[in-house]
Amino acid sequence: MGEPTLSLLGSSDFNPDKYVRELSLNFVGGLELARLRKKVHSLSEETSNNLKKNVYENYMQFIDTAKEISHLESEMYQLNHLLTEQKSLLNSLYNTSILGDDSLVVIEADFSKDDSEEKKEEIRKQKLLALKEKISGSSHLMDAPNRKVLYESYLTELDSIENTPLKSVYGVLLSDGILIANANFDDQESISLQFEIYYDLGSVAVVNVRDLGNVKQAFKLLAFPDSRIFQCKSSTVKKEWLDKLDQAKKERLSQEQNKKDVTLIDKSPSRSSSIDVPYINPFEEIDEEVSIHPEWFLEIPDELDVCVAQRHFEEALALLDKAKEYTVGYILTQNQDDHIFSDISRKVEQRKSTLIDVLMKELEVNHDKSLQGGLRAARRAVRLLNQLDRSMQSCELFLKLCSSMLKIQCKRVKREGSTSTYVRHLSSVVFTNMCHMTEEFLRAFPDSPSCASAYVVWASHELNLFTSHFIKQAFVPQTSLSTLTECIILVRGQCERLCKYGIDLCYQLDGSLRSPLTKALRDAKDKLIDSIKLRAQEDKWIPMNLKSKSALARLMQEYLDVGLLLNDYVTGDYWLQLTTNTVSFTKLFLKFLDDCLKLQTADLLHIIDETMYFVYDCLKLQTADLLHIIDETMYFVYEAQIKHVEHSLKNEKQLEQRQFMIKNADFLLNHLLNAVQKKYKDVNNFESPGLVKLKTENTAVLKGITATARNITKYSSTEYL
Amino acid sequence: MAQCGGVRVHQNQFIMSKKPTVQPALHKVIMVGSGGVGKSALTLQFMYDEFVEDYEPTKADSYRKKILLDGEDVQIDILDTAGQEDYAAIRDHYFRSGEGFLCIFSITEDESFQATQEFREQILRVKNDENIPFLLVGNKCDLEDKRKVSFQEASERARQWGVPYVETSAKTREHVDKVFFDLMREIRARKMEENKANNGRGKDRKKKSIKSFLFCYKH
Ligand SMILES: Nc1nc2c(ncn2[C@@H]2O[C@H](COP(=O)(O)OP(=O)(O)OP(=O)(O)O)[C@@H](O)[C@H]2O)c(=O)[nH]1
Ligand SMILES: [Mg+2]
Repeated sequence: MGEPTLSLLGSSDFNPDKYVRELSLNFVGGLELARLRKKVHSLSEETSNNLKKNVYENYMQFIDTAKEISHLESEMYQLNHLLTEQKSLLNSLYNTSILGDDSLVVIEADFSKDDSEEKKEEIRKQKLLALKEKISGSSHLMDAPNRKVLYESYLTELDSIENTPLKSVYGVLLSDGILIANANFDDQESISLQFEIYYDLGSVAVVNVRDLGNVKQAFKLLAFPDSRIFQCKSSTVKKEWLDKLDQAKKERLSQEQNKKDVTLIDKSPSRSSSIDVPYINPFEEIDEEVSIHPEWFLEIPDELDVCVAQRHFEEALALLDKAKEYTVGYILTQNQDDHIFSDISRKVEQRKSTLIDVLMKELEVNHDKSLQGGLRAARRAVRLLNQLDRSMQSCELFLKLCSSMLKIQCKRVKREGSTSTYVRHLSSVVFTNMCHMTEEFLRAFPDSPSCASAYVVWASHELNLFTSHFIKQAFVPQTSLSTLTECIILVRGQCERLCKYGIDLCYQLDGSLRSPLTKALRDAKDKLIDSIKLRAQEDKWIPMNLKSKSALARLMQEYLDVGLLLNDYVTGDYWLQLTTNTVSFTKLFLKFLDDCLKLQTADLLHIIDETMYFVYDCLKLQTADLLHIIDETMYFVYEAQIKHVEHSLKNEKQLEQRQFMIKNADFLLNHLLNAVQKKYKDVNNFESPGLVKLKTENTAVLKGITATARNITKYSSTEYL
Repeated sequence: MAQCGGVRVHQNQFIMSKKPTVQPALHKVIMVGSGGVGKSALTLQFMYDEFVEDYEPTKADSYRKKILLDGEDVQIDILDTAGQEDYAAIRDHYFRSGEGFLCIFSITEDESFQATQEFREQILRVKNDENIPFLLVGNKCDLEDKRKVSFQEASERARQWGVPYVETSAKTREHVDKVFFDLMREIRARKMEENKANNGRGKDRKKKSIKSFLFCYKH
């Protein structure tokens, strides 16, 4: 049993109890044991250091991966967007060639035909279910697989001889029959419906009651032995009933005709005669075709024209739906060629594209048109276009509209006052609008992945426009680092507002700001170094005279606030054993440090937000780029000041004066540097490596040794981190 | 809620209108015949004294009118059917509700005359009654120059069936009232006959209606 080593302690069969027991046997005496303890302790420290390093390295990778993923995500969105665009392009090409061909009009190939079929089936089931619940005793009727609810309404049944009201009923037209339920007025509030009878469509004849004395809006059902008269509440209800009944009957008829064509001919007397006898009916052609389709269907193109002209878009849509329903039903059951049908279908399709065009015009950005109504004004057109399965186009137009609105809003923000005031206004306008637009967008296009990706692409584009404008306005030499910092923090805060809608563009913002920010930091560094050099030329190396006790006290307090105790440097009533230069540098550098740390926290806060669960310690790695630049900048600035001291020291022979210089150097390299490192550590949890390096490089100065005696290693960015 | 309110108004109507009124006798007439022969034109001429030039195919329309028939207040209920009813089974339903039939063809169109044979057969089958009040009507007699069906030919067929034959013009109103009134008289006569028979041999009558009922259901 020997000394503790890493391999021993780390081996898999290591037993601590046994090991300690053996140790106490082999190593006797307090001194021995203390030495061993120290050794174990150092091993443990080494291990934990290694562990930390590993963790850091892996987290770095982890964070890199996370970054990659968010980039990938945005790329996937873009890809999705591109694909959808391609698809709609192909789709429109496909449609064009078919129309040009002049063959049968193909019913619109929507993007999600299966979807809508499924939805229809879903709606069908729901309607039946609702009826089942509404009408007691009707459940046996509601499970048929193809049964559809075509129409339903309250009706008043009339006495078939006296025409007087008998009772209130609820009529339901199903695809294959009519259901009548008695309406009972139990109490003031509710009506209960009780199933009465179901007539199969084939066993009931419908009569339009044109004239029944004072009785208006009635129709008759003849279902032997019953003959019943029902009164509707309005002429439109009656019209619906008759139209829908007719339609249902026709569908049923054509279905059965398909099934047994031959038998039906035998059954119909007028038909069988028409086979034997030469037929010269002048009405024949009209008769045949007109009677096949309901009147409303034939009139639909004209009606659509009127609706569109009067801007009754909803009605037009309802008509289109009606026509489509009829068309689908007709095509399903009919395989013969019917030129009236195809003519009407083609006209309806034309009207539909006219409607779409008109609606798209509504959404188009027009410079004469005021955008007063804002996005609300666009809601109607967007909704209707969505209903027409044109959501991709409406989405595109909607986003274009957003862009132009955003542009106009931004133009209204005057470039006046300070840069930060301007940026505050502008970013508030941009992001407030984007938030509104997002809300409006989510309202208009809920659960549409293709539209969502178009939106993300749009938002990212708008952000780019904004950032490039922001960079142009704010990142100019005149802007101080403090102002810049303030602006960046403002913009970041605004950008985070979008996060609550699930759109996090902060990483994009950070990315676009990184390089101008780096440049700005380097510029600031150059400026600082220049001013340090300038002051160095004028440095007389004399203690600072503050001229009054109160001035001295004020200065001391000021420095105490930033963690610097100047008591040791005070002589007399108002003398400070530091040069004006040293004091100005102190102020300058602390301000600079402040800005840098703020920039860093702005960046960091976001990441903390994003990845709550990460060890805070590791987070600084994420901002490595920025941190690196900050560190580098601090190093160079600080070094410039130290160099000045060193240079002065080199040329100074007088001992007293040299001591004064060393005292200043001591202040800079110890007092100030410590305070700086403390601040830095408060934010980053570790000391600035650049400044640590600076200190070690320059400790010689404190002993009066100057550059000629030493080799100054140049600061290199690869040396730390 | 609004719907409930609306319905309740109707309910009140019931109460108000539930006063005992003795309605005049109601005679149910059905217009049958091929498409475009003038069934609707005749009906509208009879109802409103007007001639409609446009052709608008009918589905199934009903009209009712109070008239004075030989000094008696009666009501006529006219069911104007479609010349083209594709659904033979449904035509049965219409026919069942009729008490008398005006079987119309156009004298300008032989085809429509031929079709009357089929209509006659179907009506007899549905009503199961050889003596159902029935008039054969040759319409559009104002178009003499376009006549395709001779008067003799048509009246021969009517004679075979044992029904009157009348030529009408919905345009000139010639014989329009006559066909409706003649038919109503027949219906009235039939009803009186039946009442008598019913009072005498009630059981027999009942049996017959059940038989016809069963017959209809077979189709
Ligand atoms: N000259 C002339 N034309 C008539 C006469 N009766 C009807 N017509 C015309 O014939 C056409 C068809 O008349 P309708 O009464 O609609 O025919 P219908 O028998 O009701 O036809 P369906 O409803 O399809 O069964 C219309 O244009 C009428 O104006 C008539 O007596 N003389
Ligand atoms: Mg008609």
